Amino acid sequence: MGGRVMAALSYARAINAALAEEMRRDERVWMMGQDVGRMGGVFGVTRGLMEEFGALRVRDTTINETFIVGGAAGAALAGTIPVVELQFADFLFTAGDEVFHKLAKWRYMHGGAFEMPVTLRLPTGLVGGAGAEHSQSLEAFGMHVPGLKVVLPATPADAKGLLKTAIRDRDPVLFFEHKGLYRVKGEVPDGDDVLVPFGQAAVVRPGADLTVVATGLMVGRALEAAQALAAEGIELEVIDPRTLVPLDMETILASVERTGRALVVHEAVRTAGAGAEIAAQISERAFFALDAPVWRLGALDTPIPQDPELEQLVIPNVDAIAGAARELRAL
Amino acid sequence: MTTATLPDGLDHAGLVELYRQVVTIRAAELRLRRHVEEVGFGGFWHPGIGQEGLQAAAVAAMEPRDRLFYAHRGLGYAYAKGMSLDLLFGDLLGRVTGSTRGKGGGTVHFADPELGVMGQGGTLGSNFVLGAGTAVASQLLGDGRVTVVFFGDGAAARGTFHEAGLQAAVWKLPLVWVCENNGWAISAPIAEQSPTRDIADRAAAYGVPGVVVNGQDPLAVFAAAHEAVARARAGEGPTLVEAKTLRIRGHFEGDRQPYRDDLTNPDEIPDDPVPKLRALLGDDGRADALDEGARAEVEEAFDRALAAERPDPSVVLRDVWADG
Ligand SMILES: Cc1ncc(C[n+]2csc(CCOP(=O)(O)OP(=O)(O)O)c2C)c(N)n1
Repeated sequence: MGGRVMAALSYARAINAALAEEMRRDERVWMMGQDVGRMGGVFGVTRGLMEEFGALRVRDTTINETFIVGGAAGAALAGTIPVVELQFADFLFTAGDEVFHKLAKWRYMHGGAFEMPVTLRLPTGLVGGAGAEHSQSLEAFGMHVPGLKVVLPATPADAKGLLKTAIRDRDPVLFFEHKGLYRVKGEVPDGDDVLVPFGQAAVVRPGADLTVVATGLMVGRALEAAQALAAEGIELEVIDPRTLVPLDMETILASVERTGRALVVHEAVRTAGAGAEIAAQISERAFFALDAPVWRLGALDTPIPQDPELEQLVIPNVDAIAGAARELRAL
Repeated sequence: MTTATLPDGLDHAGLVELYRQVVTIRAAELRLRRHVEEVGFGGFWHPGIGQEGLQAAAVAAMEPRDRLFYAHRGLGYAYAKGMSLDLLFGDLLGRVTGSTRGKGGGTVHFADPELGVMGQGGTLGSNFVLGAGTAVASQLLGDGRVTVVFFGDGAAARGTFHEAGLQAAVWKLPLVWVCENNGWAISAPIAEQSPTRDIADRAAAYGVPGVVVNGQDPLAVFAAAHEAVARARAGEGPTLVEAKTLRIRGHFEGDRQPYRDDLTNPDEIPDDPVPKLRALLGDDGRADALDEGARAEVEEAFDRALAAERPDPSVVLRDVWADG
């Protein structure tokens, strides 16, 4: 980051900073959601924004997901740039028509007559006992419906830089921010202009023996697994795609060409998850470089249990990632 | 002269223009019916015949800068808001001359943001929340625009009606709802769709005015819409206008309606708004000229649409993203 001033910020504060900077930069940017104003959001992410920007630009809505998303769609059609928060990503289903039809297709159906610059902020993943309808990882749904961009930041710096890019993007963006990462701190470069582009994967750890493609919370776990395996002499290369639509397959394929092995890890249910798409593309496009089949790790095919200990059994942990990498390396 | 009987906001010139629009929309409806009968149609046509008067009158109560979300029945709203027949027929016939450049052919996807024609989704009731959204934008930008959302009595059942209604009322959005209650939702009569006779009763739940008018009387519709638009523009919030009308034809053109026993002569339009408006024009001979002009305009535009090209296959991949 070439001499840039860095500040240690939590993932939540990084998102807050991105929102504030973009609202200062462009008067057309505004926000709404349940409890985002007076309370500052149920996870505290939007704290202070209503004080700075007023109750017209930071709006507390009723409990009303179809309006929150559909209203944002309408407001985007009418020349503003809405950033809206659903309290939990799971509520994508409560606003299914608005997300998968209105945001995704309005531009297409009307022959390009409209723009749809909406950013949907979606707290995703496990948070510790939130239960089956408040803990899901639904990013694959966004990938499966053309017209939506899908973003999954794993670090505070990426959260800030990707959110700023999302707000400036002219297409609808599903921005999955991980609830379990909100308090994690990291170095975030200062400056209004520091954007993280879409469609550029990050090689978060170079390694020669095996490519691990991980998203969201799993990026940190994959790094921990890599550390453990390094002690055994196995070097994992860890890649975080950061955006699933657009998806930077080039970086992933280049890595697999070098390592000959790939493991894809995500927190979402393994069946028909994003990993299935990534694994299929690796198999199609780098088959002759592979020394072993592409493996996937994801959540078990079960709803997330309410109990904070049980829920952890459902998603991949560091040991599972290390174990799979070790086995795959030995194939 | 009939000026004394005209509602606030409508002068004689406005009345003449309203008549011209209504007879043009009627002629377009009939031309489309003929096309379906003779050739068939690449998609469904939901005729708006008999509802032209209310559609054009409600739009006449709007300013050019105002926005509308239309319902799926007919093309009256879009034409009245200023879209040309070339664009509308082009869309209906899937030609490159349509507003969607040959992409979104069919009833539901006319669009012209400059004219405030904001399009429509294929899922009924999606317009409620989108329309509330454009109204939020107007409130934020202070642009003085009002949004009018048209919908049928059937669509009023969607949860989006409630979610948009509640939020719009709480925020006093510059919004007007116009319910075209034609008594049917495909095969379901209104009595099976609503516990109350009037959809407008639901406005009370949101603390906003609900008004019932005779949808076959364009002046009554104009008066109610004009007041509602003024109220919305003044920051007093939304109004629900319910226009009682009739579904003259099937749900789509070609629907034989075995579920209906109230059918009379399909070429007769009960309480037809056209002769009513015509009587108001007076006998200066202008009506005949307007009728003739409308028929000619429609025939020529339809022929141009028929002669226009179908889109290049590459359009299927266009407009997914802003940059492609
Ligand atoms: C969400 C949704 N459900 C069902 C349909 C299928 N559908 C199309 S039109 C229609 C009836 C609409 O009735 P109404 O709103 O009263 O309008 P009308 O056709 O009478 O003008 C139905 C059920 C749809 N398009 N969208």
